[in-house]
Amino acid sequence: MLSIKSLTVAYGGLKALVDVTVEVAEGQFIAIVGPNGAGKTTLFKTISGIVQPVSGSVMFDGKDLLSIPPSERAHLGIAHVPEGRQVFRSLTVLENLEMGAHSMRGRADWARNLAQILELFPVLAERRDQLAGTLSGGEQQMLSIGRGLASSPRVLMLDEPSMGLAPTIADQIFERIEEIHRESKITILLVEQRVAEALEACDRGYVLESGRVVLEGVHDTLIRDERVKRAYLGM
Amino acid sequence: MNAIVITENILQALAAGILVGSVYGLMCVGLGLIYGVMRVINFAQGDFLMLGMYATLYLFGWLSLGQYLGPYLGPVVAALLGAVILYGFGVLLHSTLLSRVTGIRVAGTESEGHYPQLILTLGMSLIIANGGLIVFGSMPQGIRTPLSASAWEIGPLIGQDLSIFLNKARSVAFIVSVIVAILLYLFISRSRTGKTLRAAADNPEAATYMGINVDRAYRVAFALGIALTAIAGGLVATYYPFQPYVGLEFVIIMYAGVVLGGFGSIVGAFWGGLTIGLVQQLSTLILPVQLQNAAIFVVFLLIILIRPEGLFGRNAERV
Repeated sequence: MLSIKSLTVAYGGLKALVDVTVEVAEGQFIAIVGPNGAGKTTLFKTISGIVQPVSGSVMFDGKDLLSIPPSERAHLGIAHVPEGRQVFRSLTVLENLEMGAHSMRGRADWARNLAQILELFPVLAERRDQLAGTLSGGEQQMLSIGRGLASSPRVLMLDEPSMGLAPTIADQIFERIEEIHRESKITILLVEQRVAEALEACDRGYVLESGRVVLEGVHDTLIRDERVKRAYLGM
Repeated sequence: MNAIVITENILQALAAGILVGSVYGLMCVGLGLIYGVMRVINFAQGDFLMLGMYATLYLFGWLSLGQYLGPYLGPVVAALLGAVILYGFGVLLHSTLLSRVTGIRVAGTESEGHYPQLILTLGMSLIIANGGLIVFGSMPQGIRTPLSASAWEIGPLIGQDLSIFLNKARSVAFIVSVIVAILLYLFISRSRTGKTLRAAADNPEAATYMGINVDRAYRVAFALGIALTAIAGGLVATYYPFQPYVGLEFVIIMYAGVVLGGFGSIVGAFWGGLTIGLVQQLSTLILPVQLQNAAIFVVFLLIILIRPEGLFGRNAERV
């Protein structure tokens, strides 16, 4: 459903992504792992349209995504849960979720989605009228994921959901993500530095280093790969 | 002077301060909305106020609104119609000029593109003011209705000969300003579009991920901000003579009000404008009238010295 071919992205001459090809099939859980500065966030921003590529193509359901304005892409069913959460700090929790449901798809399913999100993250129900800026880091991450889900996405892109969180909170968020994938059958693209967990959960994974895909494959191949074991899993 | 005369003078100045201050509040809300959402410092805001004054003047005359709607409603309807025209002008200016130096494209760049924005709004200010001089001429104008020179008497109070006089034109301006400001507040806090504006202001990048067209949100904020200030201009025009350079007098008041209110907060902007009106009128009790604006700045500097974030500024709350 999402097909990225030979994507090259540069920030003023400095190449962030080189010839990256990623295939995502409907319903899959895809993990993209790699060290800092590997270009993982850039990949997501290119899919969302915040960053323009130098060359390559991004197709979504046979449509050329690059020719669609960034703000229209959410309406197609692409939800981006950005790095660092980026909740609307001056809006309440409920208003944040409403903004997630700004897309045409989200508006139609608002009541059902809201119930599902509050069930998934009960703390958001307790804090619904609080300003999002006053939430803790973990709660903001839950809100950010909830906001993504409110758009009734077909693809949920999660950029480092565990960043800066206490390990127990990060574990909790990881469980929720797997639950979302199991129960809603939403396609998930996960960028993570917690490589072991990400690879454990995924159907298929990509290892990015310095802007290039250095390794890709299905779950079993990746976790048995000697390089992955040495470099990322500490075995 | 005896105690009653002093009390009467103070009450009179307070009342006048609230009346003019509310209209200042409305203009500040217009400027504050633009800054709060777009983070653009609009130097031309006073000139849009001036355009609002002339739009009200001409619409009032051409449509003979005084004849059909009377002295109370006539100028108000003219000011509201003028605001609709200014809204359209704002949309046009944003889509042709401002959108090139604002929005998601510059949100992440160094200095967030503030320099081109400053030069652009300064240029717009000069062109509009001087264009106004060519089109409207330099003769001071005013919207004359019987209300400009008549007043309601409140009193006599406390059984004595203490009365407060409320100029009718200013009172109408006060009522309309308060209503418009409340409507705007409800629009921003409750409506879907209002929330979209706040989201786009809060985090343009995340707003884009939600499918919000940030450029369009900025366009609405800019045009609405201009329209609000234009309404205030149309109201001021019923009791204050104006010419094409009048914007400069008011842009200073607007900036003082918006900074006092805590840059970017709409509710704060209104209270900031009201404070300016009160200071201006109360200062006449102890200072010559010519020093009104000097008094505004002394108080302004004092408040900035004591509370640099403004009277109503909070870090978590923007817009």
